Amino acid sequence: MLYQQLINGLMLGASYALIAIGYTLIFGVLKLLYFAHGEVFMIGAFAGLYLVLYGGANIYVALLGAMIICALLGVIAVYVSVRPVAKDRPLAPLISTIGLTIILQNLAVYLLGGQQVAFPEAIKQELYHIGPITISSVQIFILGIAISLMVVLWFFIEHTKMGRAIRATAENHETAALLGVDVNRVVLVTFMIGSGIAGVAGVLDGIKNSGISPFMGLSAAVKGLIVMLLGGLGNVPGAMIAGLLLGLIEILSAAYIGTTERDFFSFAILILILLYRPTGLFGARTPEER
Amino acid sequence: MFDGLLDGYTRSLLIFAGIHMIAAYSFYLPYKTGQVSLGQAGFMAIGAYASAILTQKFGIPFAAALIVGGIAAGIIGIAIGFPALRIKGIYLLLLTLGFSEIVSVVALSWEYVGGAQGFRQISFNPFTLEYVIVIIAVLLFFFARLERSSLGRAMDSIHQDETAAEVMGIDVVRIKLLAFGLGAGIAGLAGALYAHHATFMDSTTFNIMLSVEILVFVVVGGGSTYWGPAFGAVVLNAIPEFLRALREWLELIPVAWTNFYPVNRVYDFLHGFLDFENAKRLIAYGVILILMMIFRPDGLLTRDSLRRLRLPRWKSRHA
Amino acid sequence: MRDPAASHVCLSIEGLTKRFGGFYALNQLNMDVQQGHIHALIGPNGAGKTTFFNLLTGVLPADTGKIVFDGQIVDDARPSRRTLKGIARTFQNIRLFPHLTVMETVMIGEHCRAHPSVWKALGDAVLKRPFQESVAEREMQTNAIELLEYLGLAGKRDEKASDLPYGEQRKLELARALATKPRLLLLDEPAAGMNPRETSELDRIITRVRDRGITIILVEHDMKLVMGISDNVTVLNFGTKIAEGSPRQIQDDPVVIEAYLGEDVQL
Repeated sequence: MLYQQLINGLMLGASYALIAIGYTLIFGVLKLLYFAHGEVFMIGAFAGLYLVLYGGANIYVALLGAMIICALLGVIAVYVSVRPVAKDRPLAPLISTIGLTIILQNLAVYLLGGQQVAFPEAIKQELYHIGPITISSVQIFILGIAISLMVVLWFFIEHTKMGRAIRATAENHETAALLGVDVNRVVLVTFMIGSGIAGVAGVLDGIKNSGISPFMGLSAAVKGLIVMLLGGLGNVPGAMIAGLLLGLIEILSAAYIGTTERDFFSFAILILILLYRPTGLFGARTPEER
Repeated sequence: MFDGLLDGYTRSLLIFAGIHMIAAYSFYLPYKTGQVSLGQAGFMAIGAYASAILTQKFGIPFAAALIVGGIAAGIIGIAIGFPALRIKGIYLLLLTLGFSEIVSVVALSWEYVGGAQGFRQISFNPFTLEYVIVIIAVLLFFFARLERSSLGRAMDSIHQDETAAEVMGIDVVRIKLLAFGLGAGIAGLAGALYAHHATFMDSTTFNIMLSVEILVFVVVGGGSTYWGPAFGAVVLNAIPEFLRALREWLELIPVAWTNFYPVNRVYDFLHGFLDFENAKRLIAYGVILILMMIFRPDGLLTRDSLRRLRLPRWKSRHA
Repeated sequence: MRDPAASHVCLSIEGLTKRFGGFYALNQLNMDVQQGHIHALIGPNGAGKTTFFNLLTGVLPADTGKIVFDGQIVDDARPSRRTLKGIARTFQNIRLFPHLTVMETVMIGEHCRAHPSVWKALGDAVLKRPFQESVAEREMQTNAIELLEYLGLAGKRDEKASDLPYGEQRKLELARALATKPRLLLLDEPAAGMNPRETSELDRIITRVRDRGITIILVEHDMKLVMGISDNVTVLNFGTKIAEGSPRQIQDDPVVIEAYLGEDVQL
């Protein structure tokens, strides 16, 4: 029973982590609370669904397709709601991305209908028994994709030129620009990567819950925010670990305390972190920001 | 008072716009000291639930319940205001948002207030519009006075440079707490009015999107002047109604005038575009928000534009 | 130097220390400032002068040490309390309120004297004489105009603070600090960015402020200004006091000349 819950917690945590990675990357380079991120996640889920349903794609193609579509969405977001907006007013980019959130969500409602849609069974269900643990092929698939994506991303951030440029920009825009980093390009790439990962997370969430709706973005966005804070603002590995941690905490509290208390715990954690450790569990990559 | 003048629809519309306006002022007051809250819906919920418990479970008259609801939200506001003093920017946004979510989780799991079924059959207050008008009048008076007072100026200085204000002897801690607590109290009033007009609420009534909407009213209206929140709430509540009215006017055109190519196509397109459908209305709303932030990031009204307009500002020019 | 019999210690610093990580920004500083003096604090960049101001005004907490101002220990955590006790300052990197007018900026300085209680300030704003200007407000305006005339800024009272030229912004900072009615005024490089004419005007203003009985601690790189108006000079280097005395003694002190070697400063 406990092992089963641990697996469930890791599954939930993996999708939290994937969403939070995008948040924390974008927060790192722009100091922006990117509100539309949850909606990108939702669009990713629908992109995957339509690719499987009408494009006849297998699940890997669907994941890749959702990733590309969401990355493009990230580019659009930059050109529509980030670049043209005044940088010297802290609330302006927040509001413009809220505008984008509202547009994306209602566009989905308008085009796709406001109902929950069943996600097709893209992977054959098989159960494996390893000692006391029972694990399904779907679970292995989701965890495998999520963890390998995180490893690839970690490698990219730590060991490539672009990754270094992203980290330098997160430290300080002016210094990065002086060092020859094209800050605008870094912002664009960051949005593409963050959004692409959120798209994959959306598809994985669709497979896991076997249903998606245009309203799934908001709660995902809020959970992503908590995880970002827990891991430390701008801290990518922190977001990964914090995501898994929050997933475990939620599943375990739901299993042993009660389902309505589950959300209570995550928000209580949010507030405790804000009060006692605002740099997150693993330290923020960026200084305190107004 | 307005029974003969207003049909039920218009009345309800004015009530919601008025409650939004009160809520916008609840955001504006802490914002004046630089505190940006994404939890105003949570304070509305506290006012709403506190007052509804009093009227429904204890039979207390609405007017008293309204005041208690406001005070309850104000006290919780001060309690949240203390930790809010230590943090800024995104951390404060997240703190207030987290607080608001905790309120809704409590509303969901507390069976005494209906739990998942929601709080039902709250007594209907037939005079909500009158209450709303009086409260808005008091608020406008209050903010007009605050604007040209030393305290209001001190709040502005905290918004612009908190450290410099503190070093100049401004009691930043107390002023910020006062603004946060009073703002929460105003939100509580808005929530109590809402509950006794809608007569039903549940844990999703006062959600994050409502807090976001409240913030948007102020930023779109203009956060640098006390006319901004009122203006933003009026404009953003009027836009969908305006689209609807346009469509009705379109329908007044005799069919014979439009029933030929290409006018029929244009007509159909416009008619379809103005269709009063929620999703479309909200998409238009989102587009307007983005355009606003690109072309008027300080909001529709700013202190400087009002000065240029020479609207009645009571501030005496020092001779 | 004026009559030594009339002077007593206005500010006494004992063992003031502030560390950032392993770096001592200020190390065991002892210093006495005489009532009614202009006391200059000089030293190369990074010597700890601004840190000293931040500790004195409470912007940063001190690690150890004692600050005695007019016989009272100053240990309030919040800067506003220290301002109420009579310590005011200006900032090295000008920190005016960009959207307030010149007049309003000065009235911010007056606020703490006119409205020490927030509740009373709220009552004064809304309840007392609700349809007229409050008495306190009118008094504040009169005082502000007087102060602006004193500093030659009266003609610009309705301009935005951020629209003023640099030298006048520095003067406005001074006006705002004076509006808090201080007994000790800390000036952090008031002449930075000023042209020679403005500097000599500043020279006269500082002297006049001192003659009103306000003690002044002056951090400044313009040695001509410092040596011309100071009664006393303390020299800091790497957070430690290396010399103290009259301007003449300091100018001849070999230790000071050593510390300034390599810096483009004419002592």
